[in-house]
Amino acid sequence: MSLIALETLTVRYGEIEAVHGISLAVEAGEVVTLLGANGAGKSTTLRAISGLAKPASGDILFDGRSIAGLGPEAIVKLGIAHVPEGRRVFPGLTARENIMLGAANRGRLARRVLSDETDGMFDLFSDIRPFADALGWTLSGGQQQMVAVARGLMAKPRLLLLDEPSLGLAPVIVQKVFSIIAEIRRRGTTVLLVEQNARMALSVADRGYVLETGRLALSGKPEELWRNDDVRNAYLGGKAAKAV
Amino acid sequence: MDLVLQLLFTGIGIGAVYALVALGFVLIFRATNVVNFAQGEFSMVAAFIMVVFAVDLGWPYWLSFIVSLGGMALLGALFNLGVYYPLRNRSFLPVIIATIGASIFLANSVLALYGPQPQVLQGWFDTPGIQLGPVYLDSQYLLIIAVTIVLVAFQYWFFEHTLLGKKLQATSQDKEMASLIGIPVSAMIMLTFVYSALLGGIAGILVAPVLFVSIQMGATIALKAFAATIIGGFGDVAGAIIGGLALGVIETFGAAYISVPYKDGFAFLVLVAFLIFRPQGLFGERVAEKA
Amino acid sequence: MSVAAEAAKPAPARRFPGPLAGALAYMAAAALAMLAAVFLPFDDYILHILVETATYAIAVFGLTVVLGLCGQINLAQAAFFGLGAYAVGLGTADLHLSFWLALAGGAGIALVMGACLGMSTLRLGGHYLAMVTISFQQILTLVMINWIAVTHGPDGVGNIARPAWFSSGHGYLGLCIAALALVGYLVWRLPETKLGRSMRAVRDNELAASVSGIDVYRIKVAAFALCALLGGIGGGLFAGGFSYVSPDQFSFAESIVFLTMALLGGVASPIGALIGTALLIVLPETLRFLKSVPGLYLAIYGLAVILIIRFMPDGIWGFVQVYLRRFMKPAAFARSAPELVLVPAKLEAESALEVEGLSKHFGGLKAVDSVSFSVRRGSVHALIGPNGSGKTTTLNVLSGLYTPTAGKIALDGHDVTALPPHARTAVGLGRTFQNIRLFRSMSALDNVVIGAERPGHDLGRIHAALVDQARAALAFVGLEGRARDPITSFSYGHQRLIEIARALAGNPTLLLLDEPAAGLNSTEKVELRGLLKRIAGEGLTILIIDHDMALVSDVAEHITVLNFGRRIADGVAGEVLRNPDVIAAYLGAEPDVAHRA
Repeated sequence: MSLIALETLTVRYGEIEAVHGISLAVEAGEVVTLLGANGAGKSTTLRAISGLAKPASGDILFDGRSIAGLGPEAIVKLGIAHVPEGRRVFPGLTARENIMLGAANRGRLARRVLSDETDGMFDLFSDIRPFADALGWTLSGGQQQMVAVARGLMAKPRLLLLDEPSLGLAPVIVQKVFSIIAEIRRRGTTVLLVEQNARMALSVADRGYVLETGRLALSGKPEELWRNDDVRNAYLGGKAAKAV
Repeated sequence: MDLVLQLLFTGIGIGAVYALVALGFVLIFRATNVVNFAQGEFSMVAAFIMVVFAVDLGWPYWLSFIVSLGGMALLGALFNLGVYYPLRNRSFLPVIIATIGASIFLANSVLALYGPQPQVLQGWFDTPGIQLGPVYLDSQYLLIIAVTIVLVAFQYWFFEHTLLGKKLQATSQDKEMASLIGIPVSAMIMLTFVYSALLGGIAGILVAPVLFVSIQMGATIALKAFAATIIGGFGDVAGAIIGGLALGVIETFGAAYISVPYKDGFAFLVLVAFLIFRPQGLFGERVAEKA
Repeated sequence: MSVAAEAAKPAPARRFPGPLAGALAYMAAAALAMLAAVFLPFDDYILHILVETATYAIAVFGLTVVLGLCGQINLAQAAFFGLGAYAVGLGTADLHLSFWLALAGGAGIALVMGACLGMSTLRLGGHYLAMVTISFQQILTLVMINWIAVTHGPDGVGNIARPAWFSSGHGYLGLCIAALALVGYLVWRLPETKLGRSMRAVRDNELAASVSGIDVYRIKVAAFALCALLGGIGGGLFAGGFSYVSPDQFSFAESIVFLTMALLGGVASPIGALIGTALLIVLPETLRFLKSVPGLYLAIYGLAVILIIRFMPDGIWGFVQVYLRRFMKPAAFARSAPELVLVPAKLEAESALEVEGLSKHFGGLKAVDSVSFSVRRGSVHALIGPNGSGKTTTLNVLSGLYTPTAGKIALDGHDVTALPPHARTAVGLGRTFQNIRLFRSMSALDNVVIGAERPGHDLGRIHAALVDQARAALAFVGLEGRARDPITSFSYGHQRLIEIARALAGNPTLLLLDEPAAGLNSTEKVELRGLLKRIAGEGLTILIIDHDMALVSDVAEHITVLNFGRRIADGVAGEVLRNPDVIAAYLGAEPDVAHRA
């Protein structure tokens, strides 16, 4: 049984039908990436899984159980953490507080457990240890991204949804973020990764899906997808792909 | 000079009340992005509950106080359920009109139930006050200042050093993200309304022995508290406290040196002056635009 | 100029609901009401109620304008009403001025006070306005009570005179009804005027209003001042009707009564205002026993406000209108839409847009970092870059929503760097938004008419010319057949086209398109591509920002690429798209998939 399975999922976003009947599955322990140009429906798919968007039709099965229609608070309690696009670090809380709150889905925890685990996150994300007591809005984009991912991991998720973790980050930082994703995978957390940076995404993923205007265009192994002209079409448009 | 000190003391005492109500304003504003125009009525209702129990029914003061706060908690919860929550996804204009409606409803319901005569509520202490050098320290003003200090300290501790406080802060900063990490957003907003009603209630009970307990006291206090939040910088907790104190002092001096009947007008003049010359208040916005 | 351009010229006024016939019918009804007022044998009690209704309704019309049309709150209408009433009271009783002079003076004072209050607050959010109007109301009450030397304090003002010709109860009622009819007509027609349309635009979407060339702040102040003026007129007439006024008649509670009247009847229309006013004056009279308990009425009003807002946000008239609309189909246009002619307005500079060293920093973040490019007249230029590369910030700086940290922007040779959005529109900038921003309570046609009447685009003062231009623009995007349909009935893709039509109708020098393909399905994208090519074919200069590379590579001749806020490529489309830096920015380079752990 797949850890998460979408069955002919359709999601409307206001008046736009952003996702049209897509089906995909992620097995436990995999890193799967969802590629596609802006507006292809990648983020909406993640929002539907985490409960921020309500499916218009179709189903979402987590561990074989339907979670379509549940609210985000209920879904994160089941073990799906969503690190949304734009990082969304709480601007008026410190990095440490942001990370600590990531465990809000796990009920009452002893104070010491909570602070030990938070410290553990600073081991994994050693770059942000010096900024533990800095307010969220004062952090740089890369630091915010690490806080956001750490906050997601504090939920002890079985499935981690990452939306555009490389957004607006300098190449060096992007490398760092992706090495952390590789580490998360090594620790056994299943990841569904939405990315515009196809190269980086495919370098860490076991499998990939390509979305085009809300429909699944193709899927496969990273090597196959990278060689496929359609993937380039989806990003660069027909003419350019031919020209390359 | 003696008069100045005396006025300063009185002004800070009154200002402390404005500060408490302003804190309630700020908390609700940060949690919901809406100014609750019925915030002042929380003070008025609490004062009337005190009058009913402590004066009319003759219950002990402390018991009446507890009953009154219980009533405020309930009122805060009902206010959320009846006024804010059903409109939470509408634009801000309907919401503020509804809170204005609620304010009118509360004030006039009390008027209909209790009649228009202003009531007198005794202070907590039997001793009227103490003479300290040239300044006479009224016991009720001392109590107001002491309670305000305790409440502000409590609020600081609660928001900065408890997990629940952090969750409330997270909710007010980004509701969607808060729900994504499993914070029960609706419950947090409910808690904010209950807490704000309690703050307003305490302010009302404290100020009641100084003023008369009247139907108009809610609107008057709300206006001052709103002016205080603008002076301090909208949405800023420290600003609300300092703004409240400043307003209390300005008003007291204004009444003493300029005009008593127009005492309530000074708040408006200060408000307009700030709106024109420094709309961001003394402290501006603490959290800058999200980078 | 072509034949089509001639067709777009103002034709004789020919508008749909036959305004002349409507106006005549209205005048006839008003005259009838006046005759009834003068000749029907009402007793004094009925006369009083009718005068009260008519004068209150005039003040409530003010709320129709400020709250209904412009979406701004005013909780001090009783204060403005009181200003008018006291002016007439003190003017005729103490100063022995003529009634008319006192009435005009009161209206003038209310107008000036309203304008000042609005100017001090309307730049800030609505919360401030609500609180400041409450404060103003309280202050005015304080002054009425305490400035005894002038106002007579709590005793109020008596012996207020009426004008000589209207001294009888019936005559005065006739005067009030005439005033009500006149003001009501103006308020009824206001939404169809430029001022009224601007107010509706501001209420629906301030940002879209400002890029359509509307000075949002000025319109808000105008609406607020107009509201105060109507309050003053109503109050002045009220004072003459009752010959005695006192401060408690103009308290905050009365402001709430005015608000409740407007909300109950329906805040969007003067008809609603009249219904609400009449109901809330007659109901309390018939249920007098409730008045024996002080506060009960206002408590009910407060509760009514909460319930109306929650369950009947459009009021009684709004509720009725829903049913009326089912039977009233708008009349068809008398003739077909003219063809849209896009004429580049001026030929002053070779570049339609010249951007030099543009920077926008947010604190330490350099969202845009000394970017330069120029858009050649008559070309389609694309600004592209990965997410977060600074495109949207650039666009917001270009349209004046952000002030740049450094750099210079010249539009058609004019330096517009320091201009606010509506002034840039006047110079010739038209734009659309990534997340569509239309005026959602209006028809497609009204939306586009607002675009057509942008400042700097002179179509004369004739309404028909505007409508023709708007229909032409709608026809250009293929939606003229549904011109009168409300925006909300259009699909997302069609709303995008209407937004483009709104910008086109103003005949802009430069059209800025912010991700026009976002949210469109594949068929709609194909249609959009065709439309953009047709617009370009008309010679209009376009700057397009989009992620859809298929679209960009198909329509753009020239491309500027941003990454991390800096320009990384700029040149002819084909070459830029082959640029390895650009490919890397979008795709990343060849992955080392083989070495994956």
